[in-house]
Amino acid sequence: MANNDITELIIITTLIFLIAPTFLVLYIFIYNKRKKRHLEEKQLMQLTFESELIKTQMEIREQTMQTIGADLHDNIGQLLSLTSLTLNSVKLDDAEKAQQKIDAALDLTMRSIKEMRLLGKLLQGEQLIGLGLCEAIRHEINWIEKSGQYIVNYEIEGEQPAQNNPDKDLILFRILQEVFNNIIKHSKASEISIKLAYSQEGVRLQVIDNGAGFDVANLPDDQKGMGLLNIQKRAEIVGGRFFIQSQSGEGTCIEIFIPYP
Amino acid sequence: MQVLHYFTLNTGIETVCFITSLIWLINYKGQPIWRNVVFLLFITCSVEFMGIYVKRLYLHDRLHVHPNPWLYNILLLFQIVILSIMFNSLLTKYIKIKSAIFIIALLMVSLYVYEIWEHGVFNYNNLTYSVMSVIIVLCSLIYFYLLLKDDSYIQLSRSADFWWIAGLLFFYFGSTVVNLFYSKLSHIMITPKRSLSYFIFNILNVLLYSCWSYSFICRRWLTTTSQSLS
Repeated sequence: MANNDITELIIITTLIFLIAPTFLVLYIFIYNKRKKRHLEEKQLMQLTFESELIKTQMEIREQTMQTIGADLHDNIGQLLSLTSLTLNSVKLDDAEKAQQKIDAALDLTMRSIKEMRLLGKLLQGEQLIGLGLCEAIRHEINWIEKSGQYIVNYEIEGEQPAQNNPDKDLILFRILQEVFNNIIKHSKASEISIKLAYSQEGVRLQVIDNGAGFDVANLPDDQKGMGLLNIQKRAEIVGGRFFIQSQSGEGTCIEIFIPYP
Repeated sequence: MQVLHYFTLNTGIETVCFITSLIWLINYKGQPIWRNVVFLLFITCSVEFMGIYVKRLYLHDRLHVHPNPWLYNILLLFQIVILSIMFNSLLTKYIKIKSAIFIIALLMVSLYVYEIWEHGVFNYNNLTYSVMSVIIVLCSLIYFYLLLKDDSYIQLSRSADFWWIAGLLFFYFGSTVVNLFYSKLSHIMITPKRSLSYFIFNILNVLLYSCWSYSFICRRWLTTTSQSLS
């Protein structure tokens, strides 16, 4: 082989041996950029999650305050006004009637105290999320049952994990509050079944009511603000799934699955 | 005019790189290990200049056909030691490799001693150099693999470690063909005085020392930036 051929061959081979590391370096640069983008997305997701968590906490607080406000105004306020009126109408010269009115006032005061205790428990309920989702749900159910309009069945299945996840508990609790709001506002149900099932994969919350139900596929525009989208968004933010099954006149079944803890 | 003989493209780029390392690394207190590179560059420049001097001294002496390889043999020993220290420092950020690098360095030195014993100090240790090239290419590839695997993000355009290793990979991977056929290629002359391998090594040296110079700037730049930020 002539010298010129060897020279050409060596130059070309050396060039190939130089192009290989060049491509490697370029690939590392491209991959590194992707890594950066992935990290930025991860950070953004974390921020979204944190802001959603704060929003959820605020909403739970707001709902609690609204309930307390309404109860103070509609229930305890009325009871105390009635107590005041009864006591004002007491005439001491008619001892028998006075005794009856004092007894009635005493009864009203006792009812007010009972109401106040329930309110106190509701306030505790908000903090109970820290102790566990099951307890927080139980308190929420107590409040719903108090109205006397609903029969609520509550069932816990499986063993609760040793380690709680307060963030996920909070999200799930808020979802349940939203579902209850929908039931109270729209469903006209009389029975509610709640099932909280723990498994190795996660936790499943199922809420079934015997209310009016609705056509999930053709939900009218004025009913789209029912918080269903909110529920779905919240379930997805913790890597969960949300299912809804409903037919007009056949009640509604809502199921949320979240990987847990 | 005699001085001009000492300034070739090789010695030029090596001197520039050495000066860059002096400016950016000599007062660098962040990682003292980088000062070893300044020392290696000093040895490299000294060997290159002395090599030209010795070659010119024996230019007409036919008994000494290869008058300066013993100088490059000395450089090779420093290269083995300092590059092992550097790779140990750069790779241990990702994996525990200290003992492996120590064993490899020990084997390399053993091979070096064996070659000296085999053909004497006046012939270049080609086998040691070739083995060292392969190991450097492997270590560079391992570094890049670990860099890709690592979850944390680093700005590569300003990463001193990355450019330092990239320079090595370009040089040692690019010189594979020339190393394999070195003895045959030294007879293929492009100009009456210069062989093909001389020109290829010139280009590879430019790549190596450019990457290294940029790496030294990055090293100091990063430290200055993080100091001004803190």
